[in-house]
Amino acid sequence: MVDSAAPPLVAGDDESDSRLVDRAKAGEAAACDALARRHRRAAYLLALQMVGNRDDAMDVTQDAMLRFFTTLQSFDAARRVRPWLFTIVRNQVRDFWRRRQRRPADAIGESDALVGQLAAPQASPEADLHRRELKERVWRALAALPAEKREIIVLRDFHDLSYSDLAQVLGIPIGTVMSRLHGARRRLRAQLEEEGGRHA
Amino acid sequence: MPEPCGRTFDEALLSGYVDRALVQRDGQRVRVHLERCAACRAVVEDLRAVREATMSTTFETPRDDEWPETPRTGAGRLLVGLGWPLVAAWGALLAGYALWEIWRETENLVERLLLVGGVTGFALLFIGVLLDRLKTAPTDRYREVHK
Repeated sequence: MVDSAAPPLVAGDDESDSRLVDRAKAGEAAACDALARRHRRAAYLLALQMVGNRDDAMDVTQDAMLRFFTTLQSFDAARRVRPWLFTIVRNQVRDFWRRRQRRPADAIGESDALVGQLAAPQASPEADLHRRELKERVWRALAALPAEKREIIVLRDFHDLSYSDLAQVLGIPIGTVMSRLHGARRRLRAQLEEEGGRHA
Repeated sequence: MPEPCGRTFDEALLSGYVDRALVQRDGQRVRVHLERCAACRAVVEDLRAVREATMSTTFETPRDDEWPETPRTGAGRLLVGLGWPLVAAWGALLAGYALWEIWRETENLVERLLLVGGVTGFALLFIGVLLDRLKTAPTDRYREVHK
């Protein structure tokens, strides 16, 4: 998960997001740095999972972080930062696709590129190998899904967003989150079965 | 309408059950059904396995020194955005002034034609290449090769 890859604690890491946002709004550069350090990895990972390769994910993330800070004044510090940042990342991903003339219904072309970004395991006993293979199968299948199916699964299962956060990020009523999520998961299961049959 | 397995609720509740997002009454309905339905139990186990595999994945992420130290500010981008057109306008004015001076000091018609023809040719070539680059930039698949 995201936090396992988090950097060592730096100044500001023990402060709440809302306090950091208040300080950043007042123009404190240290608060901006602390916010960026705390959230940019999650933003990068979401961008990577949506665009499928490192260089494009870095570009999308930097644009998203810029947008995050230029719109900070209008952000209510009482709200949670992560869903708001993810909404910005999602919009930046859509802008990126528009520039590349791709549609949200398209899968990531180079599905192995995303799997290639999985961190190498620390050790490789047999159980870990099996787990690693399962993860690779799942991410290969996710990369083959249309973006709108992939994003809801990734936001829920990887980034662990609640249903209300999902509704906010995706801009849909909370009552439809469960059915949309389940539809995406059904599609993922079908994709996994298809890939399993292809590799059998 | 009941499903062949006897399920009387929407299948999406299975996802809600896995996510522990159901109200108590719905959670109880799903739990009771799962006790006697192997097919739905298999679906729930599949959903859990995929969720577990997804959430326990770690990805390579950029090192700290690969990020810009401080976020680019809106003011910075605005100044850069104003600076480049000013530099371009300054360059164009300087080139125009130099050409004008050369034109004034040249009285021979052939020399003037050579000067105007040469400069116009280079300008047209430059503009043509620039327009092509601007048009292909958003979809250029080799854009990232140099990185």
